[in-house]
Amino acid sequence: MSDVSDWNEAATELDEIVASFDEGEVSVDDLFAKLERATTIIEALEARLTATKAKVDELTPRIAKVAGGE
Amino acid sequence: MVSDLDSDDTVFEVGEFYQLLTAHLESSFGRRRPHWVRGEVAKVYEKGHVYVDLVDAGSASSDTKRPVLNAHCWATPWAPIKRRLAAEGIVLKAGMVVSFFGYVDVYAPQGKIGFSITEVDVEGLLGDVARRRAELLARLREAGLLDTNKQRVFSPVPLRVGLVASPGTEGYQDFTGQLLSSGLAFAITLVKTLVQGEAAPSQIVAALAALDRLDLDVIAIVRGGGSKGDLSCFDDESVARAIAGCRTPVVTGIGHTGDESVADLVAHHHAITPTKLGEELVAQVARWREDRLQRPSQRLLAYGEDLLEGSTSYLAERRRTMIFAVRDRLRAEERHLAATRERLVREARHLLVSAAQGLAGQRQLLAAYDPTRRLAQGWSIVTDAHGSLVRSIEELTVGDAVEVLVSDGSFRSTVVEMKGTRT
Repeated sequence: MSDVSDWNEAATELDEIVASFDEGEVSVDDLFAKLERATTIIEALEARLTATKAKVDELTPRIAKVAGGE
Repeated sequence: MVSDLDSDDTVFEVGEFYQLLTAHLESSFGRRRPHWVRGEVAKVYEKGHVYVDLVDAGSASSDTKRPVLNAHCWATPWAPIKRRLAAEGIVLKAGMVVSFFGYVDVYAPQGKIGFSITEVDVEGLLGDVARRRAELLARLREAGLLDTNKQRVFSPVPLRVGLVASPGTEGYQDFTGQLLSSGLAFAITLVKTLVQGEAAPSQIVAALAALDRLDLDVIAIVRGGGSKGDLSCFDDESVARAIAGCRTPVVTGIGHTGDESVADLVAHHHAITPTKLGEELVAQVARWREDRLQRPSQRLLAYGEDLLEGSTSYLAERRRTMIFAVRDRLRAEERHLAATRERLVREARHLLVSAAQGLAGQRQLLAAYDPTRRLAQGWSIVTDAHGSLVRSIEELTVGDAVEVLVSDGSFRSTVVEMKGTRT
């Protein structure tokens, strides 16, 4: 996966990278590439999360208005 | 018409006039001779004695010319009557159609001709009304009309309300007040009608037909409290049939506290007052709003919050894990390299020591074979004329010149004799 398109897929890839680190499967040659990929995924997911939070913050008062029975 | 007073005309004083009137009445009715009078109670006032305004049953209060009989029952006869009524669970009240037994009573100080009650026949006349009502209900039941409107599907969100009412009346104000102050998006389509009197049934029927042609959730018929006569239009058969025939559910809020009207019984459902009907519609919409909008919205907010919190925690944890994992991995590599380096140095040193030891052995071995040492011990080296080492007599013949190397130099010599065995 060259870019980060789907949250679940990206999270799975991230989990796999972390697991490969935990299990010591990563060679020093691959370490930088994997770390770079993991960083790309984390940054992309954080950007998406921030954008989603902003949208949610925008919608929350409108939903809260209904939820509160106003 | 103005008439002149003739000298022959009798002129009565007021008191004399009342005496004459009383005498005439008593000659017609008999002195305190009781009669039955039937009518609908328009007003009741009790304070020891009971005062009742009696009108013709079914007459409308708007009819300014309808006759009213001011009846009363003095405390002494009233006490046992009241006990008997109470034993039957009956309280004399407006709207009841009742027969009174009593006599004409002229009360000159207030200029009133009234009726003094000595007995009451409530059951008989109520029974008569009930019989007529039961007959109508039986006809409606037989035609299947009592349940027809009840089978109409009632919207869970009855916001589009058709209203049959008389604007400005208490019933109208009470009902619309509930809906409009609820803050909910009720849309009321009003068709004004009379809600009492002879013209009311036909207007109500027309209003129902007009509203039923619109796309409404419910049609409400409301009317505040009143006498039985005032409310009689809601016991009208044409109104009952019109309600039953509506495609739209019809609800009623007719303000009476006694028996339900026929309209109530034919309607989809009814409330005991316009206010109550308004409250019920508001409560239904509010309930729907709470169940279908508010609670899901609350769940949605909570779910969104949980999801965002979970995702934030997940990413933070993954970020930490990555940093630690990479550091661990690099440290492991560093440790591995350091260990390898250490092992290499150790092994190199060992190799050097071994090599040095090997060299020393070689050196000793070589020393053992050093020819100078052998020459010093008295050994000599013989070479032929070509400089080749002579190791055997086979390589020489008598007369050959040889060179003999000794420890401190060499000398030339000639082979003069051969000893040993040639092969």
